[in-house]
Amino acid sequence: MSATTVTMAPARPGLLRRLTRDPGAAAALIFVVLVLLAAIFAPWLSPTDPFDNDLASSMAPPGTEGLPLGADAQGRNLVTRLLYGLRASLAMGFFAVILGGGIGAALGFLAAFYQRWLDAPIMRLVDIMLSFPAILFGLAIAAILGPGMLAVVLALSVATVPLMARIVRGSALVVMRADYIEAARATGMGDLRLIWRHLAPNCLSALFVFATLRFGQVILLGSALSFLGLGAQPPNPELGAMASEGRNFLFFAPHIAVIPSVAIFAVVLAFNMLGDALRDALDPRLRV
Amino acid sequence: MLRHALHRLLLAVPVLFGVLLIGFLLMQVVPTDPATVRAGPQASAELIAEIRRDLGLDRPLAVQFGLYLWRLVQGDFGVSIINNVPVVQELGATIGPTLELMFASLVWSIPLGIFLGTLGAYYRGTLIDRGVMAISVAGVSIPVFFLGLILIWYVGFKWQWLPFTGRGGPIWTLDGLRSLALPALTLGGVFVGPVSRMTRTAVLDVLSLDHVRTARAKGLSERLVVMRHALRNAMVPVVTLIGLQIGFLLGGAVVTETVFTWPGVGRLAVGAITSSDLPMAQGTIIVLSLGFILVNLIVDVLYAALDPRMRAA
Repeated sequence: MSATTVTMAPARPGLLRRLTRDPGAAAALIFVVLVLLAAIFAPWLSPTDPFDNDLASSMAPPGTEGLPLGADAQGRNLVTRLLYGLRASLAMGFFAVILGGGIGAALGFLAAFYQRWLDAPIMRLVDIMLSFPAILFGLAIAAILGPGMLAVVLALSVATVPLMARIVRGSALVVMRADYIEAARATGMGDLRLIWRHLAPNCLSALFVFATLRFGQVILLGSALSFLGLGAQPPNPELGAMASEGRNFLFFAPHIAVIPSVAIFAVVLAFNMLGDALRDALDPRLRV
Repeated sequence: MLRHALHRLLLAVPVLFGVLLIGFLLMQVVPTDPATVRAGPQASAELIAEIRRDLGLDRPLAVQFGLYLWRLVQGDFGVSIINNVPVVQELGATIGPTLELMFASLVWSIPLGIFLGTLGAYYRGTLIDRGVMAISVAGVSIPVFFLGLILIWYVGFKWQWLPFTGRGGPIWTLDGLRSLALPALTLGGVFVGPVSRMTRTAVLDVLSLDHVRTARAKGLSERLVVMRHALRNAMVPVVTLIGLQIGFLLGGAVVTETVFTWPGVGRLAVGAITSSDLPMAQGTIIVLSLGFILVNLIVDVLYAALDPRMRAA
């Protein structure tokens, strides 16, 4: 067990301190935490039910009494819609990164660990998957399953698998050369245990950096698919779908489209900045 | 170089097979019987049975897949469920506008991205560099539709400078160019970020190499060092990375076409999927995938042409 703690780096200041040295990264971190809290506690923070509509306040502009962000065409409170929309978009990104990233990481570990007989077939599969853009996965899966959140999450997961597999394999190949892997093997440790206890923990930083960066990309892609009508279906609140609804009223009430769009922009920007900062702090080798 | 291209070509085969299989499976879940559609509403049962036999619908799935491929080769992509128009006819009408949009987006965004990236590397660590980095991170974070809606609101609606719906005509006409301007600004706009970021990194990498140190040592100005020695060598990774981003561009094109009601393949695909027009969806997905595979191949060959070391590998 103690072997896992023997990494190359000398004592460094804590991760949080290194991260927050850059004011941009610090701001991004605070924003991400706030957004996550808002999404998790959306049902308790929301002033109204997300489907409550009041046609009297249809397209009410921001700043209307009782409606700080205004209302959409159906007269639904945009504060509520925004909170629930964030919740749906973040959940979509979360599931896609967990599912696609999990499968991708497993493939990456297997390719690196059983380099002799699994590396070539797994990497060929990864190459093939990589030669497909996410939007095509989205279109094809939505065509097969019908538009909906499930189709979007699956498409984003499939698009994440090969990227994560590559990152993890690259990182795991370096770790595999370390002496402690040899030492652990000499103690007669089983393969799976070795991967879980010694290989995986030492690839965590690469995995974590990529997952953070990918989270932003996945939210951006997912919101685009929803905007196209391939994801969340109205009246369900999701940021991309909300922007798409608002587009129909752009010239009368631009805030209906602008509020969810700005929210996506801000969330993705924050995750990208945080991911960049994490990479610089944890693993400068990953710089692309 | 030939071997490299052949290797990539071989890799494209399973991808192509996967695409066609997806297209075939899509046609299997079509709720309507293609034979009934072809025979028309007044057809007799015998006629429908005969068409079924002609189309091979009574054969095993594997044989049907073969027949399906054979029909595709002959340009028969089936008939739209919604308006009974042959899919291939709609595809033919929409490919041109999509290529126009992609071309018009790349033609300004790649040079601008390379310029900004080089500027950032040249003035590394300064305020200019930070500005370039800010533009590029914002560029990879902004939703395409948001950029499109902003342009529509200001340029199209408020200032009334440019049209923002549909295509005014072919690219060589004034109306065509005017209607292409906003979609191309939108799609190109989200491409500047990744290109400038990749260029900056690539130029910075090259700047730390020996031949650049030599160039500096012989007293060349920093501008000459960057322009003549660093940028030129950085072009190899930049071209590769731009190639890898073509998928990203394709996704952006689908959204841009929808926002500007641009009559391209992407908009056709989205419309087909949301209206469950599976034959049409199948055709658009195959065409978009084929285009993507083709572009990847071209980039690979271009890469080999740019870097002589790749030809041997």
